[in-house]
Parts: sequence; structure tokens; C-alpha cells
Amino acid sequence: MTDEPNAAPAAPGLAGLLPVALSAVLFAGFLALVPQVADGGAIRLAWDWVPTLGIALSFLVDGLSLTFALLISGIGALVFLYSWAYLGRKPEFGRYTLFLTGFMLSMLGLVLADNLIALFVFWELTTITSYLLIGFNHEQADARRAALQALFVTGAGALAMLAGFILLGFTAGSFELSVILAQGEALRAHALYLPILILILAGTFTKSAQFPFHFWLPNAMAAPTPVSAFLHSATMVKAGVYLMARLHPALSGTEIWMWSLTIFGAITAVFASVVALRQTDLKQALAYTTLMALGTLTLFLGQESGYAMTAFATFLIVHSLYKAALFLVVGNIDYATGTRDARILGGLARTMPVTAFAAALAAMSMAGLPPFLGFIGKELKYAGALAVASEPLVVAGAILIASALMLAVAGVVAIRPFWLPPGGAFPRQPRPAPWPMLTGPVILALLGATFGIYPDTLERALVAPTVAALLGSAEEAKPLVLWAGVNLPLILSVATIVLGVTIYAFKLRLRAALARAEAALPSFDAGWDRFLKGLNRVAVWQTRVIQPGVLRFYIFVTFVTVLIGAAGTMLARGALPALPSLSTVTWDGLALSLLIVAGAAIAAVTGSRIAAMAALGVVGIAVAMIFIVFGAPDVAITQLLVETLVVVLVAVALLRLPALDPPGTRDRRPRDAVLAGAVGLTVTLTLLAVIERPLDRSLTDYFETASWVEAFGRNIVNVILVDFRALDTFGEIAVVVIAALSAYALLRTTDKRRPE
Amino acid sequence: MAPDLILILPEILLAVFAMAALLVGAFGGGDIRARPILWGVAAFMALVGLLVGLNPPAVGTAFGGAFTLDGFARFAKAGILLGAAILLLMSEDFLRRRGLLRFEFPVLIALATLGMMVMVSASDLMTLYMGIELQALALYVVAALDRDSPRSTEAGLKYFVLGALSSGLLLYGASLVYGYAGTTLFSGIVAAAAAGEGPQLGLLLGLVLMLTGLAFKVSAVPFHMWTPDVYEGAPTPVTAFFATVPKLAALALFARLVHEAFGAIAADWRQIVAFLSVASMFLGAVAAIGQTDIKRLMAYSSISHMGFALMGLAAGTEFGVQALLIYAAIYVVMNIGTFAFILSMEKDGEPVSEIASLNMYSAIAPGRALALMVLLFSLAGVPPLVGFFGKLYVIRAAVQADMVWLAVAAVIASVIAAFYYLRIVYLMYFGAPREGLDGGMAPAQWIALSASALAMVLGVINLFGIEGLAAAAAATLAGA
Repeated sequence: MTDEPNAAPAAPGLAGLLPVALSAVLFAGFLALVPQVADGGAIRLAWDWVPTLGIALSFLVDGLSLTFALLISGIGALVFLYSWAYLGRKPEFGRYTLFLTGFMLSMLGLVLADNLIALFVFWELTTITSYLLIGFNHEQADARRAALQALFVTGAGALAMLAGFILLGFTAGSFELSVILAQGEALRAHALYLPILILILAGTFTKSAQFPFHFWLPNAMAAPTPVSAFLHSATMVKAGVYLMARLHPALSGTEIWMWSLTIFGAITAVFASVVALRQTDLKQALAYTTLMALGTLTLFLGQESGYAMTAFATFLIVHSLYKAALFLVVGNIDYATGTRDARILGGLARTMPVTAFAAALAAMSMAGLPPFLGFIGKELKYAGALAVASEPLVVAGAILIASALMLAVAGVVAIRPFWLPPGGAFPRQPRPAPWPMLTGPVILALLGATFGIYPDTLERALVAPTVAALLGSAEEAKPLVLWAGVNLPLILSVATIVLGVTIYAFKLRLRAALARAEAALPSFDAGWDRFLKGLNRVAVWQTRVIQPGVLRFYIFVTFVTVLIGAAGTMLARGALPALPSLSTVTWDGLALSLLIVAGAAIAAVTGSRIAAMAALGVVGIAVAMIFIVFGAPDVAITQLLVETLVVVLVAVALLRLPALDPPGTRDRRPRDAVLAGAVGLTVTLTLLAVIERPLDRSLTDYFETASWVEAFGRNIVNVILVDFRALDTFGEIAVVVIAALSAYALLRTTDKRRPE
Repeated sequence: MAPDLILILPEILLAVFAMAALLVGAFGGGDIRARPILWGVAAFMALVGLLVGLNPPAVGTAFGGAFTLDGFARFAKAGILLGAAILLLMSEDFLRRRGLLRFEFPVLIALATLGMMVMVSASDLMTLYMGIELQALALYVVAALDRDSPRSTEAGLKYFVLGALSSGLLLYGASLVYGYAGTTLFSGIVAAAAAGEGPQLGLLLGLVLMLTGLAFKVSAVPFHMWTPDVYEGAPTPVTAFFATVPKLAALALFARLVHEAFGAIAADWRQIVAFLSVASMFLGAVAAIGQTDIKRLMAYSSISHMGFALMGLAAGTEFGVQALLIYAAIYVVMNIGTFAFILSMEKDGEPVSEIASLNMYSAIAPGRALALMVLLFSLAGVPPLVGFFGKLYVIRAAVQADMVWLAVAAVIASVIAAFYYLRIVYLMYFGAPREGLDGGMAPAQWIALSASALAMVLGVINLFGIEGLAAAAAATLAGA
């Protein structure tokens, strides 16, 4: 699972630096907005997009979105610089840069959007670019699988989220976030609150890889390392967290919000940090600690207190800084040695001192040691956990376990590869990384240290405005200080460090135990495969059942549906007709009816085609005779002619076909007979119901009075045929002639072979 | 009489032209003339389409109210004519190389198009039936165009038998409605329905049976069963035609019938349409997953899309009709592009339609793979492509009409449906490499493919102003 960085030290084209410049300019632009936003001035821009649907392209810059924008553009600039050296000589570098730039811009759009639909569009764009970037090494099967898995999991969640957005938008009367956020009270009391919340959380939990949707993220490490650093640690996976934070003012504060975020966040954090320890691939270990961070952030968003929000904002920044740095460090190790296996690596401090230095700084921040920003972050986490309204001990315990394990993992990444003796031969002779690959990790790691020593800069510029965006007032923000005196968080910190060092010391034994435990538990990744297979099987099964290609079955279904539709309507309306009185039955009518029934029955029962056709002919002729009995000779003649023609034509065609039911086929006629009987009954009832209403006699009256006055005829039927509807009669004659002509043509040509 | 004839002039022109083309073909050398006839018919239809679309609105009713030309009809007719013209041009190359380019083909397509024009203008049960049958009879024949292929003839036969059955049901329903209302005019039916009291059973049963017949035409579940078999069996140009223009016409007819003739009993048909919509969306989405043939897959795709379009109708509002029109127009454009690509799929000169043959297609023809990817994403409703806005419109129509459950169901169905579109993209870019397709593509197909893919991207800006047109068209139908 290595992503084959450049074979030789890079001297790639300078054009590859364009995205670096772009993101640096963006970063500078956002930095210039900091003073204004820190003073409480949010900035809003808007253009109409699809006005009928209330969709606008509007952007909002406040503390929360500005923090994210700075992280995205800043880390983006460093990652682009890094990639330039890491992949710059590959022929696909152009494509890579395109995808990554596209990703960065969509991610910026996502965090700055002030309209739910626009936000969703950017959200999906990040999904797609992430898909393309995970599958960047497309000749590797596991990269392809991971790409598709990430796309499906996050894509499906996003579409559920879209449903939530639409409900939210219609409930609030607007898709503008600034409008929605102002209606928190009304939304929480609304009947649709629960579906909205569930649907939106489905999107954010999948995107931010919360348990039980976590499995795609470690697989996504198939992407090139700078991509993992940027997308799958520092930015994209935080989009879900961002959205929960963004909607915090509107949706938080209910029991369900608090419990679902706290429980899922805590499970994810503990579960991920335990699994992280068991990884031997450094990148996988970092991926699981990312999960832990995402779980912790989610957990804090479940709360309301100022401490929790300050902890959220601080930890968000801390994590992005040290995690991006560590990923890039792992990329350097991979570049230098060709492996990321913690069991082999060691002794690299001499070959790559700068990387070792950056790794040490970043890892100490991750471990939460003073004087790094990570320490402040951890203190705040404990303070935030203890301020949790519901179960402070459980939450603090979860964070304690997770932080101790993080410390152990930090040791695995930063101590083992650089300072301990190697555990085996490297695939290639270690070589130092070029400067663009060192700049990123060093700057990020140094920032962690700087902000640790001068935390109030960060607090004023970003943390307090973020808390203001979440809770409505910057007053709620708690101060960021290195030394807050001896208090409970400090004691917990000490306990964390002791526990973490112990775990690190016994990690080999723990790893073996964890491997056994993990083998016993069900694997979500395998479950994913089973799910896909099952889906395919269902599709194939239902195609076989409802689409067998047999015409007879299709007709059967059609009639069943018609039966249900018609009979159902009648029953639902309670409109069963009364039985007609038998006094209206005439002998000739009865005889003809019996003839029709007999003809139909013979046609259905007989096994011979000739007999069936003859029987159908009987039906047709009997119908024609009914018309004669009821005084409509013109209709009767047309019917007779058509009937004759049909019998002849059908005879010509059908006699060339094989026998009706070849031996061995199942006889479906009993089933068909039941259906036919039911349909017949329904149609009869329908007719009875319809004739219960008095006939509309206006036409009859008109012809009765007008036939003598206007056409000078006493036989009304004749007058209608030759006067009132003369053109129709003419048309009928023409139709019969044309039909006869085509029948002649057909009969004449059937015996001839086609010339070709 | 003269004003009546002016309203129906486009139909008359097309009918005369089609018959003239038939005579030229029959007496002027047969299939040798097929190419000029095809080009002529396509050009003429495009011309008439522009005439209908751009001509200052000569609106009104003709023949005692049996024929209506309003904004709605003009919108649908322009779409039908232009779509049919483009499809003819796209098909020429495919048909010629398979020896299927018979002069009857363009003539039959012109007659089917004529039938569809009558359908969308029908405001009387008789006009409606005449339009439907004219269209259907021509299509029965073209489905079996490849007479030497058992699959094509089977497709034609199945389509014919089931089509005749549905026409029978439609006719039966129409006669019940006529028996109840005493008139075949839509305006008369709606008046009778509004005036009646108690369980108007005859009208209801007539409605049920007529909707059955129409559901067959739009291939809504459970009357969809002909669709996969016919799409797969018929020659690809015919499949392309089936999947696009007739669907637009049938949807327009559906909308006009339920709004103009049964607008007074909307609560009754809205339930039925909502059922058809949900069933189609889900069946189309689930069944497509297991398909290995792209034509069959497109059949299920069209079933699912019809479900979405019907959702706009189920809303029963003016906005719903607008959403339906927008959805149908976007659907037609997307399908034209996709089928332009499917028409070009061949290996060693033989047409193929297996999905697996697209593996690593991006390496063979990156431009075309990209265009197809855009179209598939748009079909799947992935934002910000135009297909997404189509879905958003119908979903919003459902929500506005208090059918939240329908909207949620639609989103779930679209998640399932996204799966198989994305699978094709996946195969094109990451599939296990194997012997690929040939590289060629006829210019007309190439233009249709890239133009519709481009439309999916550029349309994002303002949907080419189709919103306003559709709103105006919908207002003439459901606004009153």
C-alpha cells in the first residue's frame, strides 16, 4: 500500500507552483478579514441563482467559517507545495493538481456558503473530488474499492442530508442559513424536528466518519499521502463537524441532539483510539487517531456550555495543525525508505533530522504535553467534559482513555521511526527529503508550539469568534492559558501522561491482545462487501421474478392491476350495484348471451387453434347479432365484417406457429381462469353500476325531433347514417375497404419468399 | 373553419410532408432514397419545431374545443419536434452501417411525431385516442424494424400486444367517462365531475382505466413490463427514440388529461399518480442494479425517471406541472446525449451494449468518457448538474403539496438509483481493463453527446431560461 512517490529528487516544472500561489493569496485574503470578524462583524455576500426555488449563491464569513477557511487555504498552500515535490514528476500530476485545487475551492465554498442548497452542492463536490483523489492510483484494486466505498457511504449520507435540508428549508421558510439560525426555538418545537435531525445527522456522521460509518476513512488512506493529510484529516472529514457546528444554534439543546452526539462521539473516540494502537502502518494509525479527533469534536458539539465550545474550537485548530504535520512526516518517511511499517522503521533521525524535529514537535502537541497548543487543547477538553450536563464522569473517562492512547500513538509515530534501532531492512536506502517536503511539516509543527506559548493571539483571533458563532456571544469563550493552577483538569492531564506512557511501554503485548479481540468482532468492512453483494442479489432476484420476459405473465399482471384498481374503487366507494330485476330478460338476449359465454369458454379450454378461432368467431358474430336485436344494423354490419376479417387474418398467422402448449409446460389456465372470472365479474358490476344512472337522453330526443323536420326521414337510424353522420359512414366504408385491401396484400405475399 | 386550420397548421404540414416522403420512397427508388428522406424529414421537423416554438402565440381551441393550442402544447410540441429531429440525425449512421436504413423509418418516425403532436393538443377524448393510436401504430412497426432479428421482432410483438391491451383499457375507460359525462370534451367532463354528487362511480372507474392506459405509455410501474424487453430487443436508434420523445408526449398528455378533464376530482387521481410515482421510482432504481446490458439499464432508468416526473403531477398544482415540464425537458436532453453514446458503442464493427465493455473506456476516448460521466452524474441527480435541479423541482412540488412522505421516498430512491449510474462511471475510469470498444463515432452522435453534456454543465447557471417558459406553459394548463 505505498503510493509510489517520485523516484528521484524533484525538479518539476514551476507551473506546479501556481496552486501554491493561489492558496497563499486566498489565505492572505482571509487573514485580512480576521480583525473585522474578531470585532464581531460577520460579512455576507449574495447573488440569485435559481430564484423560483429560493436558491441563492450567498456566502457568510463569521468566526466559524473563517477559522475553517484559514485552515483550508493555509494547510492547502503547504500541501500543494509538498505535492509539487512529492508527485511533481509523475505524468498524472496535472490531473492531480486539478482535482486537488477543485477540492480546495469546493471546500472553501462549503464552509463559506450561507445557503443550504449551495452548501449541499459544494458538499457533493468535495465528495466527488475526494472520490477521484482516493482512486488516484487507479491501477491498484484496493484504491479503486476504497474510492467507491467512500463515494457511496458519504454520497448516500449526503443525499439523506439533502432530504433533511429540504425539510428544514421548507419548515423555516428559507434556505438561507442566516434566516434558519435565527429560528432555533420554532424549529426545535416543530413536528418535523426529529426527521430533519436524523436526516442531517446521517449526512454529517457519514462525512465525518462517525461510528458505525467509520470504516471508509481508514480505507481512504489508499490516496497519496498529501491527499490524506489534506482531505482525510485536516479538512474534508471535518465538513460534517462543521455542519453540526453551523447548525448548532438552530438544532442543539434538545435531549436527542445531546445524547446522539455525545454517545456516537464518545464511542467513535474510544473505539478509534484503541484500534489506532493496533495498527502497524503509520498512516493507518494516524487515520484512526483522526477518527478519534472527529469523535471528540462531535461529542463537544452535543453540549451547550462555553467550556465545551471553547474546547471544540481549540481542539479543531490543534488537531488540524499537528495531524497534517504528522501525515506529511509519514509521507517523508515513505519517500525516504519506501515503507511505512512501524515494525521495520527506525534510526532515521540521522538521515532526516528536520523531519525528525517536525515529527517530535507535532507529536508532543498531539500527546498534549506542555508548552504546546495540544496541552491547552487537552486541558480545555477536560474542562469541557467536566462541564457536561449529563454524565461528566463518563465523558471525562472516555476522553481520558482516548487521550492516553493518543499519547501512545504519538510515540509510535515520532519516536519509533527516528530514534530506535530499525527492526528490519528498508526497501530502499534512506535519502533526505527535498525542501518543499520539509516546509509544510515544520511550519505546522512550529505553529503548534507558538500558539502554545502565546495562546491569547489565537483566542482573540479565532477561538472567541468561533464560540460567538456557536453560542451567540463571545463572552462565553473561556480563556486559553498554559498554566491555570492546580485543578482537576491538570490532575487528569498528569494521569493521562502516566497512563499513556505505560501503554506505550506495553504496546507490543497490547497489540497482540487487540489483534485477537478484533478478529473476534464483526468487521464493518466485510459487512460492506456483504451489503453490496446482497443488494445485487436482490436486484437479480426481483428481475427474475417480475421481468421474466414472458408476455403471458405481463398480461396477467396488467389484468390483476386493473382488477385491483376497478374493484378496489368500487369497494372503497361502497358502490356495489343492486342486482337488476330478471323481468327485463328476453329470450333472444338470453340465447345470444349463452352463445357468447359458450364461445369464450371453448376458446379458452380447447387445445386446437382452429377450434379456438372458430369459437372466437362465434363470440364476435353473437355480439353482432345483439346489435341487430337492439336495432343498430350499421354497427352490426361493421362488426360482422371486422370479425370475419380478423378470423381470416388470425388464421393465416397463427397456423404457422408451433402447437399451443408443448408437452411439459405447466398449465397456467386454471390461474388465468380465476383471474378472467374476477375481471369479468368486475366489468359486469361496473356496467350494472353505470346503467343505474338514467341515460342521457338529449341526443335521442334531438334525433327524434329533428329527423323528420330536417332530413325528411322517419327511420331514425337510416337518417342518422345517411344524413346526420354521412361523413362518418363514408369513413367507415373506407376503413373496411382499406382493411380488406391490406388483408388481400398480406395473403398474397405470405407464400412468397423474401427476395433477399 | 380557417382559424381552426391555422391552429393545426403544423400538424397538417408534417402530415403532408410525411405522406409526400412516403410517396417519394415508394415510387422513387425505395431504400436508395432513405438517406435524403431521413435528412429531409429531420430538417422539416426541426423547422416546424422552431415554427411552433418561436411563432408569436397563435393560441386558442379548434374544432369545437377538441383541439387546443396553448402555451403548454407549444412547449411540449417544440420539445417533441426538435427531439425527434435530433434523434433521426443521430440514428442515420447506426442504421446505415447495419443495413437497416429503410426509407420507411423516417416516415414512420414523422407519423409517430405527428401523433404525439395531436396527443399534447388533445382536449377531447377522441382527439386523445386518435393521437395515441397514430403514435403507437407507427412505433409498433419501428420496434420490429430489424425484421431478421428474432429479438427485434419479439420486441415489436410484445410492444404491440401489450400496447393494444392498454389502448383497449384506455378506450374502455373513455367510454365509461363519456357515458357518465355525456360529452367527450375535457371541459364538459370537468364540469360534469364538478356538478355531480355522491360516489361518481362511472367517472371514477373510467378515470382508473384511462390512467391505466396512460401509465402504460409512460411505462410506469406496474405497466412497465414491456419497457426492458422492448428497449433491449429493438434496434438502438428505436430504443433511443422510445426513451425520449414519446415519454415527453405521454407525460404532457397525462398532465393535460388529469388537470383539464379531472381537475375537479384531483384528490382521487393524485393518490393513483402518487402510487405510480413511488412504485416506478423504486422498482426502476432497484431493478437496474443487477443489469449488465446498458440498454436494459436505460429502460429501468427511464422507469425510475418517469416516477420522478409523475411526482410533479401527483402534487396536483401549477408548480407541479411546471416541475414536470422542466423535469421532462431535462430528461429528454440527458437521454439524447446518453443514447448518442450508446449508438456509437461497437466492437469490431458490431454493436455491443454490455456495460462491461466500457471498462477503462477513459483510456480509449477521454473526451467522450468525460461527457458520458457528466451525463451519468446528471442522470443520477448529482449536484450541481442540471439533473439535480430537475429532481429538486419535483421534490419541492411534492413538499409544497403536503406530500412530504413522497418527497422523502424520492430522495431515498434517488440514492439507490445513483448506485448504478456511478457504477458505470467507476468502470469507465477504474474498471479492470479488457478488450475495449472501437474508437469511432459519427459526427452527429458526437455533437449530440457533447452538446447535451455541455448543457448539463452550463445549464446550471439559469437552466437556459427554461424555468420561465415552463412556468408560463404550466400556467396555461393548471393556472386557471
